[in-house]
Amino acid sequence: MFKKIIAASTAKSPWIYHINTGSCNGCDIELVAVLTPRYDAERFGFKLAGTPRHADIVVVSGPITSQSKDRLIRTLEQVPEPKVVVSIGSCPKSGNVFKGSYSVEAPLDKYCKVDVSIAGCTPKPEAIIEGLYKAAQILKEKREAMNK
Amino acid sequence: MINVLATIKIIVKTLIFPGAFFAMAAGLLLAGIDRKVLARMQKRIGPPVMQPTYDFFKLMGKETIVPHAANRRVYMAAPVVGFVSLAVMMLFIPIGGWCAFTGDADLIVILYLLTIPAVALIVGGSASGSPFAGIGISREMVTMMSYELPLIIVFLAVAKKVGGDQLFFGFRAITNWQIANGPMIAQLAMIPAALAMLLIIPAEVGTQPFDVAEAETEICEGPLIEYSGAPLGLFKLNTAVKMLVMTSLFTALFLGGITSGIHTGITLWGIAIVDHILRALIHVAISAVITVVSMTTIHAATARLKIEHLFKFYWTAVTGLALISLILVWIGF
Amino acid sequence: MNYSHFPAIAVMGLFLGAFLVEIFGSKSKIVRNIIVFVFTTCAAALMLYLVKPVMLDGEIISYWMGNWEPVDGYAIGIGYEIDQLSMFFAILVVLTIWLSAVYSFRYMERDRHLGHYYTLFLMLSGAVLGLVCTGDVFNLFVMVEIMTFAAVALTAFRNKKGSNLEAAFKYLIVGSVGSGFTLTGITLLYMQCHTLNMAQLSSMLSGNLTPVTVLALALMFTGFGVKSFIVPFHAPAADAYMSAPTSVSMVFSGMVNKAGVYGMIRLVYIIFRAMDIEAIQILLVLLGVITMFIGVTMALAQHDLKRLLAFHSISQIGYVITAIGLCTALGVTGGLFHALNHTLFKGLLFLCAGAVLYAAGTTDLDRLGGLSKKMPKTCICFLIGAFSISGLPPFNGFASKWMIYQATYEKAVTTGNLFYAFATVTAVVVSVMTLASFIKVTQAVFFGQCPAQLQQTREVPFSMRLPMWIMALLCVASGVLYGDLYRFILAPASNAALNVTGYIDAMLGSGTAASAGIADIEVAKVSFSYWNPTAWLILFAIILIAVCWVVVFGEKTRGAVLQSESSQDVDGKYATFFSGEKSMHSHVGGSDLFWGFKKNFSGYFRVMQGIHSGNVNDYALMAVAAAAIFIVFMFVVLL
Repeated sequence: MFKKIIAASTAKSPWIYHINTGSCNGCDIELVAVLTPRYDAERFGFKLAGTPRHADIVVVSGPITSQSKDRLIRTLEQVPEPKVVVSIGSCPKSGNVFKGSYSVEAPLDKYCKVDVSIAGCTPKPEAIIEGLYKAAQILKEKREAMNK
Repeated sequence: MINVLATIKIIVKTLIFPGAFFAMAAGLLLAGIDRKVLARMQKRIGPPVMQPTYDFFKLMGKETIVPHAANRRVYMAAPVVGFVSLAVMMLFIPIGGWCAFTGDADLIVILYLLTIPAVALIVGGSASGSPFAGIGISREMVTMMSYELPLIIVFLAVAKKVGGDQLFFGFRAITNWQIANGPMIAQLAMIPAALAMLLIIPAEVGTQPFDVAEAETEICEGPLIEYSGAPLGLFKLNTAVKMLVMTSLFTALFLGGITSGIHTGITLWGIAIVDHILRALIHVAISAVITVVSMTTIHAATARLKIEHLFKFYWTAVTGLALISLILVWIGF
Repeated sequence: MNYSHFPAIAVMGLFLGAFLVEIFGSKSKIVRNIIVFVFTTCAAALMLYLVKPVMLDGEIISYWMGNWEPVDGYAIGIGYEIDQLSMFFAILVVLTIWLSAVYSFRYMERDRHLGHYYTLFLMLSGAVLGLVCTGDVFNLFVMVEIMTFAAVALTAFRNKKGSNLEAAFKYLIVGSVGSGFTLTGITLLYMQCHTLNMAQLSSMLSGNLTPVTVLALALMFTGFGVKSFIVPFHAPAADAYMSAPTSVSMVFSGMVNKAGVYGMIRLVYIIFRAMDIEAIQILLVLLGVITMFIGVTMALAQHDLKRLLAFHSISQIGYVITAIGLCTALGVTGGLFHALNHTLFKGLLFLCAGAVLYAAGTTDLDRLGGLSKKMPKTCICFLIGAFSISGLPPFNGFASKWMIYQATYEKAVTTGNLFYAFATVTAVVVSVMTLASFIKVTQAVFFGQCPAQLQQTREVPFSMRLPMWIMALLCVASGVLYGDLYRFILAPASNAALNVTGYIDAMLGSGTAASAGIADIEVAKVSFSYWNPTAWLILFAIILIAVCWVVVFGEKTRGAVLQSESSQDVDGKYATFFSGEKSMHSHVGGSDLFWGFKKNFSGYFRVMQGIHSGNVNDYALMAVAAAAIFIVFMFVVLL
């Protein structure tokens, strides 16, 4: 019974940790906009966590510059399981306009499994909410898989 | 055979009502109400009232990572000790004029029992080995120093009001006095003390603007930075239970005896269960109102203070309010 | 068995041991340790044997040295008199010296000239034991002198460091000022009363204050104030406690300043019986409150562990003086209980500080860190001591502080004097600050990250840990079983302090007190209905078991607990979070904590810094000025 309660709660209480890997701040602003009264993602239980140890969903924005690559990997490692990685915007997906630059190491899926990609430069808040909601469902599935 | 029944009674009291389970459930409910009302005040829809419960269960299902620099034993034991001492505290604070274990604790004991959860948070954070936690525990400790001064003055004022020229710190005396003379808050001299107490509650619980210790935006949640999984869940639960404990304490001190008039006369196995349930419900409702007044409203209206301003605020404004009450009571109001 | 010889034998045994160590023990370590162990154990056994007759049966032992009994009601010989108050302090003394001796064997092994060390140590022990046993004021003064000089020499024992010599010099000067005042006071008393026996003085002085005896009271009050290191005589204490070897620091805070407190109680309660006067009560409470506040705020500003503990000793003595100044049954009981508890937890804390010094080589809070993984047992002991001194339930500090709060507030409401209520408030605030300062120590020494040069630190040897465990156990036991402690030890001791007739009658024959017009005082029984640690612990245990049961049986449901096994695994998942940076050594040291508090008190700290100038002239001047103030005060209020 408790397993079911925990799995159900996991979907309803996803805490977000946001890593900026050299983003232009466009996606970051939109992510914060999601939590404002207009969109209010907190109604699904989303909350910004201050440290990766508290996070369930790691949101990565930016094209992963060489400087930020090690830090990104280290921070991703420090998130306890079950966790879901969400890329936000086009940069972590492909490198966007920075692709080919000597200092950009996109895409993100070279370093970890990306569960949800929210495309767009920048994605609309509605898209972000939907992406995060999907991520929360994936989180629940991962937690259920841990039960077996 | 009498002993068996008495033992079962004690175990039911400690584990179910008003002990661990009730503290947990009511505390999480209060925390949920706080978040919901806060969202409404900010014109948001807000999370469901059950949200803190979901958070708690989710954290129970997460991995717990013990960092390399941490002292595992202290790190894991701290949240448990904090929760247990909070649950024990609920046994000593009267609920609707009824106290599970009268005569085992008075105001001074409560004052000190209240420090145990804070110390558990501090020691646990310290044991995690993170420098962010080091800053966090420093702030938590300064917060504690700030509110302890007005809190003891409030307690002394209440004791003097109740006792006259005798010494009364016990809860039973305080409740009986209020049943006889009406709620403490209706006394003119006690209004400043009640205001001071309302301002102490958010600092004790650690809600904005007094959450400098756990400022997630600047020091990554301070003492909690390295915590994950079940111990983190317990710490979040402790915050919620603290809301219940502090609001119950306020009720006991200033609104005591309001529900003592409830006597339905229905008993089950010789226990007036219906009365207890009604009183508990009213008690939780009152706690919710106090939560909204003292925590949510202030949270919605203010931004986080700096630690030195927090200290100054409590040692001047709040202490001043409490002192006014003490002096008024002393000269006979 | 005739046990009236026991106190004299115990005191002389310790002095004899001092000489034997000097003669036979300077070469061989084993002989030396055996002598020390045998004599301290004998002293402890002899005094503890007396617990039953004195504490439980209420007998008062009087013993005339060389059988010089009083002639025509005038005492001419030196008398030893063990009433319950003396017995109470004697228990503290023998406990402290025994534990300190056991601890010294390993702790001092790296020093040279240990023969001298143990000689001085036993001299100090004998002097303090003699001080609490004696019934003669001049003998008391002699013991105070031996104690002071042995203490000064021990402060300077590690004389390679200049600062240690300086500390000893300060102690010597200020201590001598105090001794001088005491001697002058005793001389004045002898001039007036032609006797030196305390019981006789008490029967003669009661209700009989003349300008000369009031002067004597003020001077002796100052003298014992210096010995107990209350503010404004506290400054040399911090240096002395820091410089002395830690086993001696423990003795200083466990019994040397208790000897001052004992002298103070004897003086104002027994010899002069001045505690009925409200002004004297207010003076003592005021001194106590100032002492506790200045002690604790100065402790918050320190960054050396031993110096910090020294300031806490001062602060805790403030609690004792405050409580004793109330002159109520609850107050005296609480004060004596706190004195006992202070001996236990401060001894424990000093022993832990010594263990840190022994293992890590420094007590500087900014250079230590992360020792809880290297010295887990010391860490647990230290936490017990820290929680005890900060007064967390259910440890012993809480029980005694709780009594002190009750006592001060009871005094406030019964006398209607708001001043005592402020004493309560200060006591609570000081208690929180004590907690803060020990949080600082635990964070700076035991938790956080371990610096590279301390990676090889090891746990201290068993013979050093044994006294620590004993102390820790006593801290918990006296906190939980304080009702029994009250019944068997504290109640008789506080009755003896408040009621002087037994003391006089035991020494000078029954009926003396009555003929001097001193009546029995009915001492109220203290009731503690509201703090019941056993019930609290049972409830705590029930819920704890329930929570642990959930935790254990929920193992499959809840998330796993992961911990890195390899000590090399410092990066990645188990690393400390540094916002993504590679984790590095970054430790929040003791000096960096409590910014919000220090900022608001910066003006106060500036003034305090000016007062604690480190200049011995200033300290001596402060002592003399305080003496002048006491003299004026007592002349004004007593005459």
